[in-house]
Amino acid sequence: MSVIRSTYTHDRSRPEFSHPPTAMAGPILHYSGHQHLRQRLVLSILSGKPVKIDKIRSDDKNPGLQDFEISLLRLLEKVTNGTVIEISITGTAILLQPGIISGGDCTHDCPLSRSIGYFMEPIIMIAPFAKKALRLTLRGITTNDLDLSADLIRVVTLPHLQPFGLADGVELRIKKRGSAPGGGGEVVFMCPVVKIVKTINFVDPGKIKRIRGISHAVRVTPQFSNRMIEACRSVLNRYIPDIYLYSDVYKGEESGKSPGYALTLVAESTTTALYSAEATSKAGVSPEDIALEATRALLSEIQKGGCIDEKHQTLVLLMMVLGSEDVGRVRMSPPTPRTIQFLRDVRDFFGISFKVVPADPLDPDCTQLLFSCYGTGYVNVNRTLA
Amino acid sequence: MDDHAHKAHRPSQSGGKAEKKKEKGKEKQQGFNEKAFAFKSGRKADRQGRRNVERDQTRLHVPLVNRTPDDEPPPVVVAIVGPPGVGKTTLLKSLVRRYTKQTLSEAKGPITVVAGKKKRLTFIECNNDLNSMIDIGKIADLVLLMIDGSFGFEMEAFEFLNVLQSHGFPKVIGILTHLDLIKKAATLKDTKKALKKRFWTEIYQGAKLFYLSGVLNGRYPDSEILNLSRFVGTMKFRPLVFRNTHPYLLADRIEDLTPREQIRQSKGKCDRTVTVYGYIRGTNLRMGTKVHIPGVGDLDMNKVSILGDPCPLPDADSEKRRKLSEKKKLLVHAPMSDIGGVMYDKDAVWINVPGSFSRGNADVPQGEGEQMVMDMQDASATLEDAVAQSNIRLFGSSKSHLSAPSTSAKTLDDEDEDDEGFEGGSDEDEDDSAEESDAEEDEDTFVDVSQDPRNTGRSAKRSITRAFPSAAKTKRGDVEYADSDSDLGDEDEDEDPAVGSRRVRLHGEEDHHIPSDEESEDAMDEDDDMPQWKANLAERAQTSLSRTRRKKDWTRLIYNSTMTPEAVLSYDPSASLVDEVDGGDEDDDDLFRVQTADGTAENLELDRTKEPLSADSLSRWEDDDLLDSIRGLFITGDVGPVTGAENYVDEDGKYEDSEGELDGEDAEGDAQAPADSTESTRAAALAAKKEALKRKFDEQYDDPEASKMDFYDEKKDEMARQLQLNRQEFEGVDAESRALVEGYRPGQYVRIELTDVPSEMIENFDPHYPIVVGGLLPAEQRFGFVQVRIKRHRWYTRTLKTNDPLIFSLGWRRFQSVPIYSLDDHSIRMRMLKYTPEHTHCYATFYGPVAVPNTGFCTFNSLSAETPGFRVSATGVVLDIDRSVKIVKKLKLTGVPYKIYKNTAFIRDMFTTALEVAKFEGANIKTVSGIRGQVKKALSKQDGAFRATFEDKILKSDIVFLRAWYSIQPRKFYNPVTSLLLSDKGRWAGMRLTGQVRREEGLKTPVNADSQYKKVERAPRRFNPLVVPKKLQAQLPFASKPHQMAPQKKPTYMQKRAVVMEPEEKRAVALMQQLRALRKDQVAKRSQKKAEKREEHKKKVAKEDEKRGEKDKEKRKEHMRMAGQKAKRQEDMDEGRSRKKRKT
Repeated sequence: MSVIRSTYTHDRSRPEFSHPPTAMAGPILHYSGHQHLRQRLVLSILSGKPVKIDKIRSDDKNPGLQDFEISLLRLLEKVTNGTVIEISITGTAILLQPGIISGGDCTHDCPLSRSIGYFMEPIIMIAPFAKKALRLTLRGITTNDLDLSADLIRVVTLPHLQPFGLADGVELRIKKRGSAPGGGGEVVFMCPVVKIVKTINFVDPGKIKRIRGISHAVRVTPQFSNRMIEACRSVLNRYIPDIYLYSDVYKGEESGKSPGYALTLVAESTTTALYSAEATSKAGVSPEDIALEATRALLSEIQKGGCIDEKHQTLVLLMMVLGSEDVGRVRMSPPTPRTIQFLRDVRDFFGISFKVVPADPLDPDCTQLLFSCYGTGYVNVNRTLA
Repeated sequence: MDDHAHKAHRPSQSGGKAEKKKEKGKEKQQGFNEKAFAFKSGRKADRQGRRNVERDQTRLHVPLVNRTPDDEPPPVVVAIVGPPGVGKTTLLKSLVRRYTKQTLSEAKGPITVVAGKKKRLTFIECNNDLNSMIDIGKIADLVLLMIDGSFGFEMEAFEFLNVLQSHGFPKVIGILTHLDLIKKAATLKDTKKALKKRFWTEIYQGAKLFYLSGVLNGRYPDSEILNLSRFVGTMKFRPLVFRNTHPYLLADRIEDLTPREQIRQSKGKCDRTVTVYGYIRGTNLRMGTKVHIPGVGDLDMNKVSILGDPCPLPDADSEKRRKLSEKKKLLVHAPMSDIGGVMYDKDAVWINVPGSFSRGNADVPQGEGEQMVMDMQDASATLEDAVAQSNIRLFGSSKSHLSAPSTSAKTLDDEDEDDEGFEGGSDEDEDDSAEESDAEEDEDTFVDVSQDPRNTGRSAKRSITRAFPSAAKTKRGDVEYADSDSDLGDEDEDEDPAVGSRRVRLHGEEDHHIPSDEESEDAMDEDDDMPQWKANLAERAQTSLSRTRRKKDWTRLIYNSTMTPEAVLSYDPSASLVDEVDGGDEDDDDLFRVQTADGTAENLELDRTKEPLSADSLSRWEDDDLLDSIRGLFITGDVGPVTGAENYVDEDGKYEDSEGELDGEDAEGDAQAPADSTESTRAAALAAKKEALKRKFDEQYDDPEASKMDFYDEKKDEMARQLQLNRQEFEGVDAESRALVEGYRPGQYVRIELTDVPSEMIENFDPHYPIVVGGLLPAEQRFGFVQVRIKRHRWYTRTLKTNDPLIFSLGWRRFQSVPIYSLDDHSIRMRMLKYTPEHTHCYATFYGPVAVPNTGFCTFNSLSAETPGFRVSATGVVLDIDRSVKIVKKLKLTGVPYKIYKNTAFIRDMFTTALEVAKFEGANIKTVSGIRGQVKKALSKQDGAFRATFEDKILKSDIVFLRAWYSIQPRKFYNPVTSLLLSDKGRWAGMRLTGQVRREEGLKTPVNADSQYKKVERAPRRFNPLVVPKKLQAQLPFASKPHQMAPQKKPTYMQKRAVVMEPEEKRAVALMQQLRALRKDQVAKRSQKKAEKREEHKKKVAKEDEKRGEKDKEKRKEHMRMAGQKAKRQEDMDEGRSRKKRKT
């Protein structure tokens, strides 16, 4: 924190000795509350600024970090080198002094309280900036209704990296599926490293040209997935003929430990804007209803418009911040609360603020917004040349 | 005899011969004979064509984006570098004189001049200190490298060129001076040629080298300087990677802002607050990052403010002229020098006045400083009066002035209108202003209805900022005051009370549009008593009711408010009349409690990415009309008259209404939607349509091949487009908020306030040493282990040793660290090297501030000027940064067997405890003779002894060794070179070598007896004869039995017998004997003769050798004589020059 300085005179030639690594890392950023933990950790690791988060569920009857959060911290510690994480005795405060992102081969068992999507999201954000290509095996629940499912990450999240020049070689393989509560799924995430991120200028949402879907069912009758497809088509057929819904049935060892099924839908526009929706099985609800739920969610997503799927706003905005020192522009639907907090956190960590204006000033009813920023010109310093 | 001069040849001026010669000369001048260069054969033509193509390719460079804007670039930094006494200051003065027609008496610090319509230059003179040379090398765009022609290159020049090479090579122009000292024309020619050749090998073939002849009136000849300035002026620069990724600034002025009292109390030892002034170069400078001042350290920027350009480029009115007007030529900015009689020091401004200074004589030309003094004398009123009368702007962002209450409303009005008119012109979304202004009016009226009209132009009291904003516009100036400031400036609310504006801005964007309709009603406004807002009140109330949606100012809500994200989302500008956007006020919190609905609270509780699907929001999709309504968003949809402009069409948003208040007419078609669209929108639509049609037409009829570009052009085009976008995106935004979003752009003149600056920097400030402020990337503010590829410089005479301190110049920084050298050992391990290898690269790892991989650096063992020889000890490039390193060195553990079984042996003296053995179980071991084995297990009896197995039986005399690798860490030592903090800046001393310390302290090197080299005593090995036991012998097969036979004692038959010859036999033997005797005699005679001859020959050769030796001796003598003379001459010449130098 303090400026390194020492006063020298002629006779005094003995220098001062080393300073701790944080000597120049700047002031520690301070946050309270357990919300938005993931994005703050990610921003801290990417920017290299230490972060302190306290009052984590301090008023709760179950105070402190929960098992999945601890697990996330462990995962981040695995994929980085030199990271120091201090957790207070009560677990209500953490201090993260980020190291460098090392990547490499990793395996992590996710707790059953959250699906692997919870862990994948931060990893996707930091993996391209690692020293070595990351090959991460995650075990746990692949689909639940809180986090992005493995399918959604594969077909929506990863393609969102495409315009930034990050998508080459990025792959998510679903080895086994695992539904809640038993889990037992396994995915392998592979991500090469990049040097710099291109910036994007994505303001034309285009029109939807195709719809794809994956309907999967594990440890239940395969008929369920066909029933979901039928129900979904009954709504979507009116719009577009180019609809393919895949029925994806995993059997035996690969199907995890609990029964479950889900429908994932993706709509793609002429300018490669993606909209997605997903619904997972619930007790006492028929597959048709699940399918209808997913379909309608997709329609409302389409109606919101923009060039970016609402669930991936933060990912896209982060990559814009990390982009080359140019203006990046993207058109999006109104930000979610997560996104708003993310924008504020980005300003703390990177000093970057966005210009947010209505996408179409001529139209008073247009809720879409145009986000533009000047990238930081982030260079992957971890990348090795040797 | 004939000492008269020969008659000179006079060429004939007329006549046939003259004609002929004239023609000849003309022919030559007219250029080449075209026929001579025509191709004779197709093959040759083909080859030539290929060569041309190849040559074209060599011209291409990797396209690099230039981050410096073209329209108003920062001045080009021209550094004048050279050894002392070579004429740097003279050149600087000459150049400044050339550009500004002013004579400097003292040239200190950077001097900025206007060199052309689009070009400014900053000259800086670099002193001979290596630290200064390093810093200058990192920022100079153009280096004028001065060389004493009468002496030749000096070591500093080469050192400087090597520093440049490792930090990105700027353009270099060589300048030879002191050429007048060489009297002989031939010598001069030779010297020029030799120096040029050396210079070219150092820079590139064909690098520009200038010759300056003698000094006239303390300056170089004007014509030569003019020539040089032309070269400098037309120089083009290619962006250098490091400078194109870092913001930096060459401070041309520094000022100490620390309160005097604080300095006095701490006796000048307290940390200072310092401002530096300069042009930003490189990339955009952002707040929140740190800066590094080489020689001082990392500092925090407290504040950055944009200042007016002290040396502006000529503006539009002089643009019309081809040449720079004479007036502009006088512009020069050199705060540390004494231009115009003003000099800025670290804590004072000095004004020089010539002779006696009196106000009266106006005929004496007055400098800037004198003018300042006179202006001060002119002041008739006190400051207070001046404040009362002047129009002060409280904040830079505010457009209106502060006004004393007495000022008439009318004057204010007029001024403001001017302002607004100006702003309206620059507004980027002017076209929609009409439409937006409606909305604005609505709000005003709405507010008014609900508000009591008690606020009437108060000027001072504004305690209840949280209250409802009044729209009672009794004084128009107030309203517009609030309108005009920026969206982002968060202080603007705070400044309001001072002027008595009661309105609190909600929507910066819409506020821009007020003037347009106000201006339209200007005429009416003038004579009408009734405030204009009252007009059409009822009508507007009507419209306001019909409109429900209003736009939020998202940027402001997100960044400048304390609202929770949920509150931001649910915030409805049309519903809430009260302003809660204000971020600064504390009372925000108690007025607006965060009302988290159960649902959102739950979401946050879980940090979930997928929003929960709510049944009722989805159930509305059961409606067929709604389903049909989004048809237009699919390619199959029927909407979209112009496919090319779909961007425009499908945005009209009639479907995007998430409020669910879709009336039938809205869903029906788009004819109704832009009901309020005005002329401008229609025009825009038409333009878009036309554009689309044109594009379509072009696509169809243009030749696709013609517009196709190659890769290089495509890339360049792409960059140009992106730069264009960068320029346009924030063009309309005001400077303050623009700085927030994109930082401070290169070319702007800024003032940076730095906090916690060591006091020594100010105390020991010397304008001769450049102050460079280099911006750091976030990664560069961290520490870690840096792995570099390094090569000892071939001119550095000593090898570099691991763990010896080395001074690095890496990125902006100069620091001392302790590297460990290593080499990659078969890609298995990093193996430590004790010394750097000769002529090859190796790796080095040290602890220090991180730099981006691929950054070049150079190192020094000492920076002091006294160091003999070449000081750049190594150069290299950063490869990798990490938080841990894995470098190993070999460790051989030896042991001896004390008991040997067949293939098993017990070994001791390798380890000391059983625990150590346990650690090495299974490790490979080997005897010196090459028998391999393995560590098995520790023995219980002897501590540290263990059982090992081998592939064969080993000997008791064998030494067993275990090859292991011991990992070592670089010392965490980092010592910045704080040269600027010293009073004598060249005297920085870092950590010394152990040897240096011992030498200075007079200590002896401790001797380790084991490390001494001794003669190896090897006793001759005695091998005992092989003894086969009797029992074994008995069992052996006969062939294998040892052959042991006793020697025979009695004579054998052969020895015993007697031989008697027959008579013929006797005769034959006798004859043979005689023949042999003859032969022997013959041979003896022959050999004797040969020996004689050889002797003779030898004598002859000896004679010849003697002769040759004499000749050689003579030759050598002659050579030495010549050499001696030469040395003597040299000595004389040196003496002569020094004498001459002293004279000048």
